[in-house]
Amino acid sequence: MSSHANNDNVQALYEGDQSKLYSGVMSHHTDVESTESKTQIKRIWKVFWILLAVTLVEVFIGMQLSTSMPKALLAFIFLGLTLFKAGYIVAIFMHLGDEKKNFMITVLIPLVLFVWFIIAFLADGSFWLHMNDTSKARDHGTTQIAK
Amino acid sequence: MSQATATTAQEPNLWGGGRSPFNVSYGKMMMWFFLLSDALTFGAFLISYGTTRFFSAVWPNANTVFKSFPFMGHSNLPLLFVSLMTFILIMSSVTMVLAVHAGHYGDKKSVATWLLWTIIGGIAFLGCQAWEWTHLAGECGGLWGTFTDVNTPVHEYQQFFNMNDAAVANVFHTQPLVALQSTHNFFNYFFTITGFHGGHVTSGVIFNILMLVNTVNGTYERRGHYEMVEKIGLYWHFVDLVWVFVFTCFYLL
Repeated sequence: MSSHANNDNVQALYEGDQSKLYSGVMSHHTDVESTESKTQIKRIWKVFWILLAVTLVEVFIGMQLSTSMPKALLAFIFLGLTLFKAGYIVAIFMHLGDEKKNFMITVLIPLVLFVWFIIAFLADGSFWLHMNDTSKARDHGTTQIAK
Repeated sequence: MSQATATTAQEPNLWGGGRSPFNVSYGKMMMWFFLLSDALTFGAFLISYGTTRFFSAVWPNANTVFKSFPFMGHSNLPLLFVSLMTFILIMSSVTMVLAVHAGHYGDKKSVATWLLWTIIGGIAFLGCQAWEWTHLAGECGGLWGTFTDVNTPVHEYQQFFNMNDAAVANVFHTQPLVALQSTHNFFNYFFTITGFHGGHVTSGVIFNILMLVNTVNGTYERRGHYEMVEKIGLYWHFVDLVWVFVFTCFYLL
């Protein structure tokens, strides 16, 4: 019994030490009704409405305009809107925008790999399709015979 | 915000030891790096999906596959159900960030309330996903490893394609087995990726329940801060973030 209580204290001390060492996040705010707190909450709800509006726009485009628009333009719009939403989630909801710049860079730089991954793999996919497109090869063959 | 501005003043010994140069605790930083690795895993899945799609001459059409809504029978309601799922997940992200906010102020009651809403949102999302999976597996016959038999009647997979597209109709006319292969690939990727995402939501709900118990028991209050809410909050938002990409890749593009 006593050992359990003791462990609990040690942990509290350890975590308490951390909060003193590191984080302004845990610096003690006291008043939930303060203007600072209210601006934060206002910001959260603003982002919610932005995310909702962008999603509705996406669904509308997907339902109504997807057949009449060029595919490449459609993909460009959808990926743009997706990255826009992702940016808000990471910056505001995950508070990355509030972290130190060094930390932001440390987290974000490895993601640059994706640019290379996506270009390389998708290009490879369409190359494979091109190489294996039997219908075109067949067309080519028949036109030659017809000549 | 405040935590950044408080310490941005350039001090000569930023990397001199004795404090965190990044101004984040060990646990929070490791959560970020875990999420980074998880992003690479999800990215690998989605890029693999994209590659397969690029090397397929035809691909099932999202507006045709995902057109059902519970209790609406055979009415044609493309994307409506997945929009609802997306809304639920965004909403639960908001309640989570409000829990984190309440945690910064040590407001135990609000933390508990918002965590409870987040749990409800997560369970609602999982319920929707369960319905969608059941619908696809039951009425559409798609699951892992389905649509492999070359003797499958064409009408069984033609229903997933946009036959108004001349190029698609032409493939069905000349080489329907290409479409059969695409259907097989489509369902494999769909169930693997949404399943992996659903697994993340499930574990997120479990973490949230554990945190709710700890909050109500006053564990974090005694500890003096609610950093755990913040760390699991990061995980929860990441799951929402992944859904944003899954939504685009599977339902929109």
